[in-house]
Amino acid sequence: MTALIVRRLIQMPVILLVIYTLTLVLAWKIPGSPLDKGEGRRPPAEVQEAMLRQYNLESFWGFYWSYLDSATGVKYVRESLSGEAAAVEKAAIEAGRTAPVRRVFDLGPSLTDAAWRVDEILLGSLPVSMALGSASILIALAIGLTAGIIGAVKPNSAADFFTLLLSLVGISLPSFVIGTVLLMIFAVWLGVVPAGVYSPKTALLGAFTLSLPYAAYVARLTRLGMIEVLGADYIRTARAKGVSESRVILRHALKNAALPVVSYIGPATAMAMTGSFVIERVFNINGMGQHFVSGVINKDLFLIIGVVMVFSTMLITLNLIVDVLYRWIDPRIE
Amino acid sequence: MFKLLVPVAVLVAVLLAAVLIDRPLPRADFVYIERSEVTTLDLHKASWMHDLRMATNIYEGLVRYDNFTADYRKKPATAESWTVSEDGRTWTFTIRAGAKWSNGQPVRASDFVYSYRRGMLPDMAGDYISMFQLIKGGKAFYDWRAKAQGAFAAESKGRARPAEAEALWKQTLAKFDELVGLKAPDDRTLVMELERPTPYLLEVLAYEVMGPVYPPLVDRFQSIDPTTGMVKYDSGWTKPGVLIGNGPFVLEDWRYKREIRLRKNEHYWDAKNIHFNTISMPSVPDGNAAVLAFQTGAADWLTDVNVAFRGDLVARREAYLEKHKDLVEKLKAQGLDRVEIDRRLPRDEALFLQPMDSFGTYFINFNCLARLPDGRANPLSDARVRRALVMAMDRSNITKNVRRAGEEPATTLIPPRSIGGYESPKGLACAPDPQAIAQAKQLLVEAGYPRGQGLPTLVFLFNKEGGHDLIAQAIKQDWEQNLGVSVSLEQVEIKVFREKLKNGDYMISRGSWFGDYGDPLTFLDLNRTNDGNNDRKYSSARFDALLDEANSRRDPNERLRILSEAERVLMEEDLPLAPVFHYKLLYLFDPWKVSGITPHPRQKQYPFQMNILGDELGPDVPMRMRPALKQGAGGTP
Repeated sequence: MTALIVRRLIQMPVILLVIYTLTLVLAWKIPGSPLDKGEGRRPPAEVQEAMLRQYNLESFWGFYWSYLDSATGVKYVRESLSGEAAAVEKAAIEAGRTAPVRRVFDLGPSLTDAAWRVDEILLGSLPVSMALGSASILIALAIGLTAGIIGAVKPNSAADFFTLLLSLVGISLPSFVIGTVLLMIFAVWLGVVPAGVYSPKTALLGAFTLSLPYAAYVARLTRLGMIEVLGADYIRTARAKGVSESRVILRHALKNAALPVVSYIGPATAMAMTGSFVIERVFNINGMGQHFVSGVINKDLFLIIGVVMVFSTMLITLNLIVDVLYRWIDPRIE
Repeated sequence: MFKLLVPVAVLVAVLLAAVLIDRPLPRADFVYIERSEVTTLDLHKASWMHDLRMATNIYEGLVRYDNFTADYRKKPATAESWTVSEDGRTWTFTIRAGAKWSNGQPVRASDFVYSYRRGMLPDMAGDYISMFQLIKGGKAFYDWRAKAQGAFAAESKGRARPAEAEALWKQTLAKFDELVGLKAPDDRTLVMELERPTPYLLEVLAYEVMGPVYPPLVDRFQSIDPTTGMVKYDSGWTKPGVLIGNGPFVLEDWRYKREIRLRKNEHYWDAKNIHFNTISMPSVPDGNAAVLAFQTGAADWLTDVNVAFRGDLVARREAYLEKHKDLVEKLKAQGLDRVEIDRRLPRDEALFLQPMDSFGTYFINFNCLARLPDGRANPLSDARVRRALVMAMDRSNITKNVRRAGEEPATTLIPPRSIGGYESPKGLACAPDPQAIAQAKQLLVEAGYPRGQGLPTLVFLFNKEGGHDLIAQAIKQDWEQNLGVSVSLEQVEIKVFREKLKNGDYMISRGSWFGDYGDPLTFLDLNRTNDGNNDRKYSSARFDALLDEANSRRDPNERLRILSEAERVLMEEDLPLAPVFHYKLLYLFDPWKVSGITPHPRQKQYPFQMNILGDELGPDVPMRMRPALKQGAGGTP
């Protein structure tokens, strides 16, 4: 187990570097200037040049290395060791000003929203996305496991057919349709949740909408696993020993049937935590998904790289956690 | 089984933690929603209308627009009075005795010197640098700094030179004192020398970016890049708990893409006339969600209704007004403003929609370069071709059937009646009659393209989203049917669109402009030769000379007359652009409940002047616009 964790942790920076390179190549190819606003005034040519220089946007490789340099903390360490930081500090203090703020990991500013640095944006939206994602996965587990068990206990019954139909709907209806319908019902007709502005109740509705496709998938995995397991010898033995039916299903069968669900939950959580752009928009939840889209539309290079790197790190970490959990739950797995 | 519960427990823990960290605040006294997120609270970086409106909550300049007067007067704000020298070049402002920063410190004249210096720096890459250049030496200082900083960066070759960078900054400060005519002889006196007499100076000074920033605070977040020599400001100074302003409100909370919350500034000199203790601006990027938020009472004012059914909302409003036509006419005769008239009609949701004139125009750009960047000859460089195209366009069809927002078709670049004392030229008729079409055809013959023969396919460029495709289709149809020319439409992403316009790499494109301050120059300057925003690459010695001549005049009325002639040249002869309509922004608010929103022709509506009637905060009496004075239009307070 330790070997696995160590191996994965060593692989991680390499994978991240590859992802960074690919992302930057693609983002760089987006047409237009990252400093252009889209509407309104343009700054004079000399100002545009100076800004490009300031952000190292003059050449691809210039930007590639300078971003790596400051985002990984290498620059911070180098400037500290070489005495450059001390010289800058000294010059500032001599000029009667406080020393500039230095950040170990500098992810750069947002080029669109001048008031925010990328790390602030990510720190602000990541908890929201994580909460939304966790909530939706929890709901998905609750719905999916229940539906799956019902379906497996009485296969081909009306209840089974009904849950299958529901899961089909959950997978095939796009979330903006379900989301809008739910908002219509709960916000406009019933008036139990506020519409438009953010509130925890609306967010819960969003989490529910987001959970549906995952719930559907979990239901199918559980149902299949359960049907297979329920036919196994040890279940028959348990029943023969007089174990109550609910105990057989929840304790003996579910434990084994849930393994595929566990392996699915890892990447699904990462997806739910970051890939919720539509839900965020419909329910006005300030999560991370929106930054993928707005970053690309505005060619906000720092933001694009920031969100992609956070997402990649999350995905890799969650996969690792799932693998570890898997082995822990079922020690037979190598 | 226990082991299976572990992942679930982890998820629950994450969820609980997030919910505990992220607590919603109670509803503010006044809630308004803008079309998009505020991008900055740094005055010198602000550019968007919603950024500027937010800035008026937090900062206050020397003077401000009086949005309750129909003739656009200015009102003393942080300055309590001012005098102008005989030659009109030196203005002396007296800072209000009680003007204070939100930390209780007095606002000093030197704070304005500091702020305007910051606004002038090329390092800030501000959108409104040219406004600061009305001050004597502003342009010279800007040029000097841009050159010196560029040279420093080139010399560094990537090496850090902290001591030299600091020396350059010191030199810059000395250069400012040497070159720029802006001085604070004492704490309450600000002396401003101008490049030339500027009758519309107060208009510019009332503009949102001309407020002050708090020097000790901004200095704390300033640094000099040791490699490029550029001045940088960490945005940390604009954050809640840190930001210090001199406006009616202070920043209480700002969560990115979530909400901005303001609290009344107890140190504000006019705090007793502020009717809210808290204001909130939640971020609602989706147009439908924003309308829902208003309908369910979560918001009091929506500044831009951006939904597919807006046409229906406008139609509903118009039908309701039609129903009460007699009463409306009677109220109009009493000289009441539009909102005030609505307020006296029987209460109905149809009137929650309030179309407001805005200081912006939608137009079509014609590329005026003799040759396109790929070397082809450009038929549109001939003014006759451009004029023919404009004459054959049906602009009232676009406002009536395409936009459906109750907007006026445009025949001029500057929205008529938006600038006090300015008389708009007539322009070309907005809908073609058979005679106009015959004339247009004749113009094409004269230009050497009878019935469009020999004219290459005209490519009409526009960007996705925003409904430009529908407008382009309508115009294409007009041109093809009326003139027999062939037109093709090209739709691109906004970034590509901007790039092509900048490089002059297009034939015809959609365009738009919102004016800043209430002077014709805010629109006309776009068409000056080599102006950075002259996407049409239009260059006319005659037009430029008219602008220069107007700038040399001291008599405001004479000056406006010359500018009107300049606009006439644009709109009746040269047509580098074809105006299509003047924008209206659709507001949503309940006029029986919200007061302080007036139909100001340049869309100056400030949250700090608003009041919820019946909430027992503020006077709870509706405020209304005052009629225009008989004389003195054009801007004296």
